[in-house]
Amino acid sequence: MIKYVYYMYCLNIKLSKGLTNKKQKIMKAFRLVSMLALILALGVATTSCKKVKDADVQAAAQTALAANPDLSNVSVAVLSQVATLSGTVKDDAAKAYAESTVVAVKNVKSVVNDVKVVPPAPDFTAIDAALNAGLVDALKDHAKVKAEVKDGVVTLTGEIRKKDLPTLMQKVNALNPQQVVNNITVK
Amino acid sequence: MALLDKYKELVDLAKQYGATVSEEGNVLRVKGEVPSGALKDKMWEIYDRIDPNFKSNDLVLDVNVNATEGGKVKVITRESNLNIRKGPGTDQPIVGKAAHGDIITLISKANDQWWLVRDNDGEEGYCYSQYLEPVR
Repeated sequence: MIKYVYYMYCLNIKLSKGLTNKKQKIMKAFRLVSMLALILALGVATTSCKKVKDADVQAAAQTALAANPDLSNVSVAVLSQVATLSGTVKDDAAKAYAESTVVAVKNVKSVVNDVKVVPPAPDFTAIDAALNAGLVDALKDHAKVKAEVKDGVVTLTGEIRKKDLPTLMQKVNALNPQQVVNNITVK
Repeated sequence: MALLDKYKELVDLAKQYGATVSEEGNVLRVKGEVPSGALKDKMWEIYDRIDPNFKSNDLVLDVNVNATEGGKVKVITRESNLNIRKGPGTDQPIVGKAAHGDIITLISKANDQWWLVRDNDGEEGYCYSQYLEPVR
């Protein structure tokens, strides 16, 4: 292809010799167009030489992401060597890490980072167990009060005398729950 | 912001003693240590006044009296004796009793709830810390 364009260009120069001024001008313009075609052809030739397949780049990028367990929910799609990231991660650091991981992959020109940060729901198992253990002692002197624990929140029910309420509340608050829901009837 | 306004009097007092105040969701958390039982009682009075019977469920007031190990503590049960137990928990056997108003020795803190004490007869065991108040 390059050879062909260059041949045409040379031919133009040869043809242009011995022509009238007007025709020479036309030929100059034609030559310019040929030059542009040559440049364009070179450009096309350079890129087509490598034959980068988006699918290969995408597979490489996905493999790079899979190496980090924090990025297990991140997907990558590659189109014209532009990688678009989607999915979720637990924090901003993981989101940035996903981007830098994919930028480093060969033949990735740029990255569009559409990853969403979704903080994980906290695990209250240990906190609830500690609260339940503490409540056994805290409620010992308040026989008519019952407590339920869920996600760090202590819900109190039953009944109590007004003068004992601050004592009970102090005991329950000292267990450092997320919240105390007081549904106790005060007598 | 609304909660900080609602409990402003309490928050200002707590901050004077270096308590941490944070707002998480719709709950205000005040956590820290104060130098005396009187101050703790005052904070709970303010809480009860702003939010009668603690019904709003929007404050966790985890303020305890700063107690030094080796120091003296007073039994602040309502009127009854305070059980002294073999280990830290109400499931532990009772090894002795301290009378309401007694001043006994705090040996060490097993945790926030249970303190190892020595009563005036030399008996050692664990008491529920909410019924003990440091004296100076």
